[in-house]
Amino acid sequence: MKSNPEKEETFVPFHLPFGPQHPASGHFYGSVKVDGEEVVELEPYPGYLHRGLEKLMEYRTHIQNSVLVDRICVLEPFSNEMGYVNVVEKIAGIEAPERAQSIRTIMAELGRILSHITWIAIVSLALGLDSGARIALGDREGILRLNEVATGGRIYPCYFIPGGVRRDLPEGFEEKTLEELDYLKSQLNLYDSLIFRNETFVTRMSGVGIFNAKEAIALGATGPNLRGCGVESDVRKDEPYAAYPRVNFRVMTMKEGDAYSRVLCRRGEIAESISILRQLLQDTPKGKFRIKMTTRTPKGNAYFCCEAARGELCFHMVSDGTDKPYRVKVRGPSFSHTLSEFPYLARGAQIADIPAIYWSLDPCPPDMDR
Amino acid sequence: MGMMATFRSIVKRLRGILKPLVISRYLTTKPMTLRFPEESLESVQGYRGRHLLEPEKCIGCGICVSVCPNNAIELVEFMGQRYPQIHLGKCCFCALCAEYCPRNALKMTRLATISIFDRPSAVYGPEELSKLL
Repeated sequence: MKSNPEKEETFVPFHLPFGPQHPASGHFYGSVKVDGEEVVELEPYPGYLHRGLEKLMEYRTHIQNSVLVDRICVLEPFSNEMGYVNVVEKIAGIEAPERAQSIRTIMAELGRILSHITWIAIVSLALGLDSGARIALGDREGILRLNEVATGGRIYPCYFIPGGVRRDLPEGFEEKTLEELDYLKSQLNLYDSLIFRNETFVTRMSGVGIFNAKEAIALGATGPNLRGCGVESDVRKDEPYAAYPRVNFRVMTMKEGDAYSRVLCRRGEIAESISILRQLLQDTPKGKFRIKMTTRTPKGNAYFCCEAARGELCFHMVSDGTDKPYRVKVRGPSFSHTLSEFPYLARGAQIADIPAIYWSLDPCPPDMDR
Repeated sequence: MGMMATFRSIVKRLRGILKPLVISRYLTTKPMTLRFPEESLESVQGYRGRHLLEPEKCIGCGICVSVCPNNAIELVEFMGQRYPQIHLGKCCFCALCAEYCPRNALKMTRLATISIFDRPSAVYGPEELSKLL
C-alpha cells in the first residue's frame, strides 16, 4: 500500500458491501474498505449458508450421510461423495470393485466438467458477457441429462455408496456420453472466441489478482488456483485414487499467477477431463458394481483427500465402532479461496476488479460455510 | 516497423471485436428452453420422482422409516395394518427407502411435477401414495 501522509489525516474509510445480494457474489458478504476507487481492505463475512453439515453427519448413519454430503458443494456433488465413501471404506477396510471405481471416476469427471461449465456461465455473467452465460448454462443441461440417466437425479445424484455405486450404468450410457463430449469439445471453441479470447474479458482479467507460488501455498491455495501459479499439484496425480492410476492425463499449469491464468487453467481442465472420460469409457471393466458392507465400522480414524473441481477436498473421520461417525471434519477447497486468498488479492485492486478476482478464484459459498 | 505494429494491433483488436459475433449462429437454431406448461422435458427411465406404494406387498417392517435421512417417513395405521406415510416437504428424493424395501413395495415413479398450495397437503398417506395422480 502506498501511504500518503497528507491524505491519512483526512482519510475516512468508506465501507462498500460486496454481497450477499450482489449479482456476482453468491451467498458471500465482503465488506470492502475503499479509498476512492482503490480497495484498502476486504473483510470477508462467511456464514450465510451455514447448515452445520459436520454436526448433522454425527446423527446419521454412513449410508444416510452419503446422501447428505451432496449438499457440501451443490455444483459438484460427485467429488463430495467420492471423498466421503472413500473415507468410510478406508475405516471399514474394504475396497469397492473395479467397475465401481471406474464408474465413480467417470461420474466425478463429468461433475468436474459440470462445475467448470457453471463457472464459465458465472464468470462471464460477472464480467457482463451475458450471451456466454446463457449458452454455457444451456450446455450444462446436456450433462445434467446424463446425470439423470445414470443416477435418477439431476442436481443431487445420491449415487455413490460405501461399497460401490447404487446402480449400474444403464445401457447406451457410454454412447450418449461420448456424443455429449464431442459436442462439448466443439463448444469449447465457441467459448474461446466468445469469452476467453474476447478483448474485454482478456483486458479485465490480465494483470489483476496476482500472487506467486510461495504466497499461494502460504494462503492455502489448492487446485486450479495453485496450478495457475505454476505449481504442478494435483491429488489425482500425486496420490491417485479410484481409476485415476489407469488413465493418462496432464496437469494443467500456467506461469503468470494472475486471474487470466487461473481462467485458462480451468478452461484447459475441461479439455483434459474430456480426454480422461474418453479413455475410461472405452474400457470400463465388467463385473460387480457394489459389494455389501456392514453398517457398523470398526473403531479408528481415517483421512482421505480427493481432487474436486475447485481444489483439494479432504475428509477426516473418527469412528467409535457404531454405524454413525463420531466426528467428521471436511476440508473444503473454497474455504481458503474465499477467506484467505480473496482478501489478499483484493487489497490494492480497483473496485471494478473485485468480481473479476473473486470469480477467477471460483469459490463456492455452500462449500465455504458448510 | 512502427506502422506495421500499429496495423497488427488494429487487426488484432478488430478480430477481438468481430470474433464474438459467431454467436449469431444461434439465431437460426432451436431455442434451448422449453415453454413449460405446454411442453416439458420427458423424464428418463429410472428417474427418482414421487413414490408409489403397493399396499398388498407392504409388510409394515419400518425399514424405510429407519433408513430415511430426513425423518420424512412414519408408519400409520390404515385398514388395520401399518403403512408408511411420507412427508414430501421433508423428502429429498434420495430413493433409499425404495432401495432398502425388502418387498419392493415402495417404488419411485417418473412423476416430477408435484406442486401444492399448503404445507399439510405435502403429507402423503398410504392411500395417496398408492395412487398415481
